[in-house]
Amino acid sequence: MLVAASALVFAILRLLPGDPIITRLGATAGANPEAIDQLRREAGLDDPILTQYLRWLGDIFTGDFGQSYFSQFSVTDLISRRIGPTLELTAISIVFALLIAVPLAVFCSLRRGSWFDRAVTTGSTVGLALPQFVLGILLILIFAVELQWLPARGYIPFNEDPGENVRRMILPSLTLAIAAAPLILRYLRASMIEVLDSSYIRTAEGKGVPHRRVVIAHALRNALIPGLTMLGMVIGYTLGGVVIIEYVFGIPGLGSLAVESVFKRDYAVLQSVVLLICALFILTTLLVDVLSEFLDPRLRTGRAHG
Amino acid sequence: MASPASLSLAGRFGGRRRRVPRHGSGTTIVAIAVLAAIVLLCLIGPLFAKDPGVLDNANRFAGPSASSWFGTDQLGRDLFARMVAGGRISLGIAAGATVVSMLLGALWGFTAALARGFLDELLMRLADVTMAIPQLLFALVFVAAFGANTAGLALIVGVLLTPVTARMIRSAVLTELQSDYTQAAVAYGASRWRLVLREILPNVSAPLGVQASINAANAIILEAALSFVGLGVQPPDASWGTLLQQGYQKIYQSTSGVIIPALAIFLTIWMLNLLADQLGGTDDVRGRTG
Repeated sequence: MLVAASALVFAILRLLPGDPIITRLGATAGANPEAIDQLRREAGLDDPILTQYLRWLGDIFTGDFGQSYFSQFSVTDLISRRIGPTLELTAISIVFALLIAVPLAVFCSLRRGSWFDRAVTTGSTVGLALPQFVLGILLILIFAVELQWLPARGYIPFNEDPGENVRRMILPSLTLAIAAAPLILRYLRASMIEVLDSSYIRTAEGKGVPHRRVVIAHALRNALIPGLTMLGMVIGYTLGGVVIIEYVFGIPGLGSLAVESVFKRDYAVLQSVVLLICALFILTTLLVDVLSEFLDPRLRTGRAHG
Repeated sequence: MASPASLSLAGRFGGRRRRVPRHGSGTTIVAIAVLAAIVLLCLIGPLFAKDPGVLDNANRFAGPSASSWFGTDQLGRDLFARMVAGGRISLGIAAGATVVSMLLGALWGFTAALARGFLDELLMRLADVTMAIPQLLFALVFVAAFGANTAGLALIVGVLLTPVTARMIRSAVLTELQSDYTQAAVAYGASRWRLVLREILPNVSAPLGVQASINAANAIILEAALSFVGLGVQPPDASWGTLLQQGYQKIYQSTSGVIIPALAIFLTIWMLNLLADQLGGTDDVRGRTG
């Protein structure tokens, strides 16, 4: 899967026009074809496409993402400097999204049809219609420009100033969380309702298990397992959103690295960033699958029978 | 220039009311009306709006007034006129992208569903692979490769939305292929083309309508996002995404420069989502009775 995705990205970037060497030298240097040829040879850009692709793929397995065409840093270098903020932002966002969505979903499923439920459902359709970056800008407008509670942009590493780091992470992660929460909420609400209507919940209520315990230990636990698969998708959606949210909030992560590399036509960086984010996405999906099998023995036996 | 989502859905709507008058049809009317109003405003706006390119240094960052309804930007340009002009670009790209994605998606999905076997497997794995790449990142790759102009953006966004569309169409077609009427058509000797065009296509039009409005909404998001980071619509043209970007840079001077494009993007997407939800509901009802 990952190999196929990498081949696709590589092919699109290579087979289409735009010469990174000419871009790097600038338009004026275009007058000297020999210098261009030499640089192209050094970068290995005159080899057949397939050779280039296999070399790139082979290098990645040894942890070497190649050389940036533009800056003189290696891609591995650039990526390792940028990956921290991205991972931090994604992780905090998912935690926020769960903190928002899970309690709301449980409450709505218990009081379905109430004004609160309808308000939350309407709110979630509004949330789904707000693209992440539009939401981010509106939050900046409210909390940074008008109220001036929080800084609008920028990033301070955690080990330099933990307080500032957290303050600057609030708005971007809240943005991604509010965008992701409706997805989790809708799904979890539906699966909670299904579980609450099932016979084992009635049995539990019937034999006098306290209501709180029925909801949390019986219903929520069973409703969360199909929700886990959903979480994989939500993480994918959030990883995609990180790209533009980093740009909006001026966070030096993988997303803003990708945008910069497009401006510079630095394919070596771009293809590696895309590949890395895909890898993160596929890895989390896999992790979620394994985790749900671990939590729900039925999935394991189901596979054995099928 | 009208959004294809609204066009194809208007037709569906008539059929829907005949079938099952349900609650929620009011929502459909509102959604179509709002979308129609937005499209219409963008189409006829230039007739009465000011010239979006005219600079007016005396009136920079002016608030909304009778002469300029949405106020002006950092160069004194009329924001209403710029929104109308931007809307023509944003909606035009969204319409183009929707047409591209529906055509390619239908071709892809129908081929996979009808071919079965190896070709089906190959086409669906290809769809899976492309769907593993976050759309915006994929869009960046395409823009890096192709460069961006307005027509190119419609094509790129359309191609990006194709795999999801193809998947959906394939599963809709597969469902219809198992139905009694398909069996009947095969039994009386309908040709393959007749089967596809006269029997299956009309019956998958509801899910196609849903997908078209979802695609239109996604196209607006993708185009706005690309234009916002400066990789989409290029100056002197400005889409809603570009306007949002320019407003964002001057957010401390003027809030309307941000709020108005954001509102336009949000409202259009919201209405398209509502439409998709309503039509999806229709399909469910049909599924139960049929």
